[in-house]
Amino acid sequence: MTAVLVTHADEPIGRRIVKTLFYDARVDRILGVGNGAAPRAFDRFLADPGGRFAYLRSSLSRHRSVSDLFHSARVRDAGVDTVVHVPGHLPEEGAAPRLLAGVPPRTAEARLVLQHALDSPAIHSFVALGSAFVYRLWPGNANLLRESSELDLAPDVGPELRSWIDCDMIFHGELGSDQLRVVLLRLPTVVGSGGYVYLHPLLAGRPGPRLRPLGFDPVCALVADKDVALAVAAAVHAKRSGVYNVAGAEAVPLSVLGSWTRRPLVPVPGPWLRLAAGALRLAVGEARLERLAGDHLRYGFTLDTRRAEHELEFRPTHRIGLARAGDGELRLETMPV
Amino acid sequence: MSGTPPRMLLDGDERDEIAPASGEQRALGRDPFEAEPTHDPFVGRLEEIEALLERAQESLLPPRPAPDLAKQAPETPAALRPRPVRPRWVTTPRLGDVELAREAGLVERLLSEPDRRRLAALEHLAPGDVPYDRFGFSPEVVRTAFPAFLALYRYYFRVESRGHDRIPSEGPAILAANHAGVLPFDGAMAVIDVLLHTDPPRLPRAVVDRWAGSLPFVNVFFARVGQVIGTRENFADLLDDGQCLLVFPEGMDGVRKRITQRYRLQEFHTGFVEEALRARAPIVPMAILGSDDQMPVLFDLEPIARRLGLPMLPITPTFPWLGPLGLLPYPVRYRIVYGEPLTFHERFDPDAANDVRLVRHLTQQVRRTVQQLMDRGRG
Repeated sequence: MTAVLVTHADEPIGRRIVKTLFYDARVDRILGVGNGAAPRAFDRFLADPGGRFAYLRSSLSRHRSVSDLFHSARVRDAGVDTVVHVPGHLPEEGAAPRLLAGVPPRTAEARLVLQHALDSPAIHSFVALGSAFVYRLWPGNANLLRESSELDLAPDVGPELRSWIDCDMIFHGELGSDQLRVVLLRLPTVVGSGGYVYLHPLLAGRPGPRLRPLGFDPVCALVADKDVALAVAAAVHAKRSGVYNVAGAEAVPLSVLGSWTRRPLVPVPGPWLRLAAGALRLAVGEARLERLAGDHLRYGFTLDTRRAEHELEFRPTHRIGLARAGDGELRLETMPV
Repeated sequence: MSGTPPRMLLDGDERDEIAPASGEQRALGRDPFEAEPTHDPFVGRLEEIEALLERAQESLLPPRPAPDLAKQAPETPAALRPRPVRPRWVTTPRLGDVELAREAGLVERLLSEPDRRRLAALEHLAPGDVPYDRFGFSPEVVRTAFPAFLALYRYYFRVESRGHDRIPSEGPAILAANHAGVLPFDGAMAVIDVLLHTDPPRLPRAVVDRWAGSLPFVNVFFARVGQVIGTRENFADLLDDGQCLLVFPEGMDGVRKRITQRYRLQEFHTGFVEEALRARAPIVPMAILGSDDQMPVLFDLEPIARRLGLPMLPITPTFPWLGPLGLLPYPVRYRIVYGEPLTFHERFDPDAANDVRLVRHLTQQVRRTVQQLMDRGRG
């Protein structure tokens, strides 16, 4: 049996992963860790008479609190042998990421959690979520990317993407570890029922209009949040380590995805957008620069997921599309196939 | 983006047979020997060169027997073998099996019923609730654009074609054609021609240069009508889906050739042969006659073009003298001829794609066949 520690369990993806693992008979215990109080969605899991789920509050970007967490009696008694690391959102939409000793919190968390997992003799598996936006994009409305495709190591990428690339490289560095089985799942735009969007540099965050370059409408590969949770479950039980692209069957143009998720995109001529990006850089630094500049606004990608299909035996089981909600409005929904 | 970042070695790199050799992701089929003289060694001496190549093949490269796939089958128990995720091939139904919507749109009323059936069949290429495939192809956009291109095909270029029965009706296939005429009307006419003369209808996915992907509006239109950027990943994936690809192995060299080089093929890139061997796909040679005359290039101001970030800046009898109107192609008559499929994959196993000399030799064979088709077509 497996005992799993899930980081950022209080965020939407983390909640979904906890729920999937909770109903997975092969998982004995789940320990959720989050920055905030336990979400109300966890009430029924916490009330489980078998005590299969517990929630701890801890700041994952501080060395002391992560050390305390991994050496705590709760973790030891639960017999945690697997860590699922869900990278967190940046703290405030539109705000510059708070730097801790010169690095963004997401990068610091990745480093600390991985280091403590490596140091802990009881932990032998580490599953991390990563972003497929770390790949270098080439001109084209859609290009197929494999796990072996180049990462975007250009110096001028924005801070949001930079932190994803740093996290990716941190996990990648331990892929050959003898002590720890490391699985890195690279995800495209994650969507959830009702229009929740995660990972897309332009669409993530609150609903509302956005700007996009005129004349470009890149294809966005999609994956449902429920499929992400299933992929994590598959990675927890797999006996392999490695990098895997995980995506659903659907891919839609950015403009369509924007309208589906109540984030209408206003096309603006490219030179104007560059001017706006320059002004933003002067005004507030490089915060959220990806929203106005960046190759992902012009060039799209889809992912080759055959490695995950063959080695993790993961297949997407949810369709993504528009469905009419109870109030009569058309909304993005993820539906089981 | 600035500079060329170092390429990371990722998990499984050693298994990736077609990983680019350098830090920069190579465009499909860039010949590693392209620094060699590029003059055409065989125009006018076809028979002599053919004999030389055959002798070289006999002495250096004995034909390899076709692999016995049954022997190579893995011994893993069936229950543990990975299940096929997608249907083996993405296909369209036969025209007789296509159901037409009762009400045709305004544009569709201009079309005959068989043409409407062909367009309706294409919807099977992007099944499901989302009307796009993973490369951005949209049957809806094809339906909207088709009448205009059909008018060009029938009334402007008055295309005649023969040899359609040589296009495989299903499974992966590569159509290899000559390329000329500054603007890619030859590609559009070839796509329409294949679509009109196959049952079940096949929409060749034209492989385009990466530069086209950086052009505003053009990149979106190209993707929606089924064209893909010519990376090896895209190429291999579409063949894996059993789709038909249209390639122009001359690349930009074909488009920018001058009036003095009309109907003379430039050097072919080799990547399409490698991928054909790996995917076990036949190559159908194809000659498009007429595109060399649609916009004869007198000069190419290449240094200025490079400064402007363009692949070429042609001077034609009408461009730039008449402004944008000068880019309108002359109403020349097109003739399209399909050759016998070249089934290299029946003689060589997929590993042969790694044999640079063999691939170059096979590429020359394709080039020679296309040149012969062109010569015969003109004669």
